[in-house]
Amino acid sequence: MAITFEQVNFSYGAGTTLANPILHDINITIADHQVTAIIGQTGSGKSTLIQHLNGLLKPTTGQVTVDDLIVTNATKEKQLTKLRAKVGMVFQFPENQLFANTVLEDVMYGPLNFGYQTDEAKQSAQSALKMVNVAENLWQNSPFELSGGQMRRVAMAGALASNPDIVVMDEPAAGLDPKGQAELLELVANLRQSGKLVVFISHQMDHVVSVADQVIVMQDGHVAVQGTPADVFNRDIDWFKSVNLDLPRAGQFAEQLRANGVSLSRRPLTLTELATMLNEEHKHE
Amino acid sequence: MTQAITINNLTYQYDDHELFDGFNLSIEAGEWVALVGHNGSGKSTLAKLIVGLIVANGGDIDVFGKRLTVDSINDIRAQIGMVFQNPDNQFVGATVADDVAFGLENIELPSNEMPQRIDEALHTVGMENFKEREPHTLSGGQKQRVALASVLALGPKIIILDEATAMLDPEGRASIMKTLQNLKAQFGSELTLITITHDMDEAALADRIVVINDGRLIIDGNPDDVFSKSQTMHDNGLELPFAGELTARLTVKPKKYLDERELIHWLSPSNK
Repeated sequence: MAITFEQVNFSYGAGTTLANPILHDINITIADHQVTAIIGQTGSGKSTLIQHLNGLLKPTTGQVTVDDLIVTNATKEKQLTKLRAKVGMVFQFPENQLFANTVLEDVMYGPLNFGYQTDEAKQSAQSALKMVNVAENLWQNSPFELSGGQMRRVAMAGALASNPDIVVMDEPAAGLDPKGQAELLELVANLRQSGKLVVFISHQMDHVVSVADQVIVMQDGHVAVQGTPADVFNRDIDWFKSVNLDLPRAGQFAEQLRANGVSLSRRPLTLTELATMLNEEHKHE
Repeated sequence: MTQAITINNLTYQYDDHELFDGFNLSIEAGEWVALVGHNGSGKSTLAKLIVGLIVANGGDIDVFGKRLTVDSINDIRAQIGMVFQNPDNQFVGATVADDVAFGLENIELPSNEMPQRIDEALHTVGMENFKEREPHTLSGGQKQRVALASVLALGPKIIILDEATAMLDPEGRASIMKTLQNLKAQFGSELTLITITHDMDEAALADRIVVINDGRLIIDGNPDDVFSKSQTMHDNGLELPFAGELTARLTVKPKKYLDERELIHWLSPSNK
């Protein structure tokens, strides 16, 4: 179920005088059963990249392969149905995707569309709602009466209900409170545990460090680096400035400590790591 | 001291749920108050009650001494500007300048006074070079600064930002925080600022932090006081700023709450 991009270029309005090239020569492999985070500053091409994962955008040149399905510029819309059943997408501000009269109907929409029987659709919707912690007493409410955090969960359940092998999320944690963020990270870990491939875009490096197996760094429509969080976040501090990215908070704090004469044996990437290092290496007298 | 907002014995329920039951809070003119709580704690509902977007079941809300009623609601709203979470849901104009002009047209400002007001407001938020830009070409942080300018142009005494940075990238978030600090420096006691947030780095900028949960006031104090109560914060679904979370995990801790800069100093050799 791996995903590969081979020589992928993408332009809006390709072939016209207004052609606007966004992605350049993308060659990546996204491994199965792993969580891959895509990071990069706003406008670096992250959202454009992930819209290729379920054929919302087709490469202008090159090809995207998802499992045994190949998407090129010539792929017809009809051929994409199979791909869309395989890939669940949660867009930025997923609450904008809600539309039905009740929470349950909203989540059932996807499975029904992919040909589930009503009973079957209902069951999968219910288990998806449980997975994202939407309390049962809300299932018959209008999705528009919910709080922002709950709406987000319902929209995610909608993408998960048809049990896709691949789950793609565009900044799923934006706007959630600390508890909601922790639950989201747990959900991502659970999805991986159940054998799914997860791709998510994030601006929060702490989330990337805590849950991702692989990191893809986008810059100006190119892949700048791909590697494990440990590889990527141990690069030189000047490199982070050049791609306009932050270190995880613990790394930022360690850099400031270093500027103030406190050096640590290596760069901590998490709060726990930083605290442990300070407790061991710099006992405060 | 003049009270900007006084909330007295407020009750509000929806469906069968009693959200506020005898809630009290007063905010002085010129204060910057961060209203914090987890999603669903009632903080946005409180903001909507203050501007009369929803109606309380009981109790009183006074804004600069004037009781909020059906008759006073328009006068009160004229003193309060609000900026909401999603920058894309609050644009009406075809250009940045048009967007700021929209509010001014609504209050029937003479058209010869408009250009100056628009320029001043955009200048205050650092968006004066974007006047003719179409809103959809702006970044999230820039959009929120325009939304803030649209509110500022109307000369409000109180501005409420309801999770206005929650949807922004780190750069956009930093630009809004900087803008708010500039606003306070420029307007001082003329402007009362209420920021509703669950981002503690943002809350740390305020003069005062009010923590609410399920419609109840949990803690009310200055940032140092509030952040020294780490257990209470965690119990109410909130975190401390990074420096506070780190301090909580150190075996040897400073005697009082230190912000990031202070903690780094405390840890540095010059302090040993």
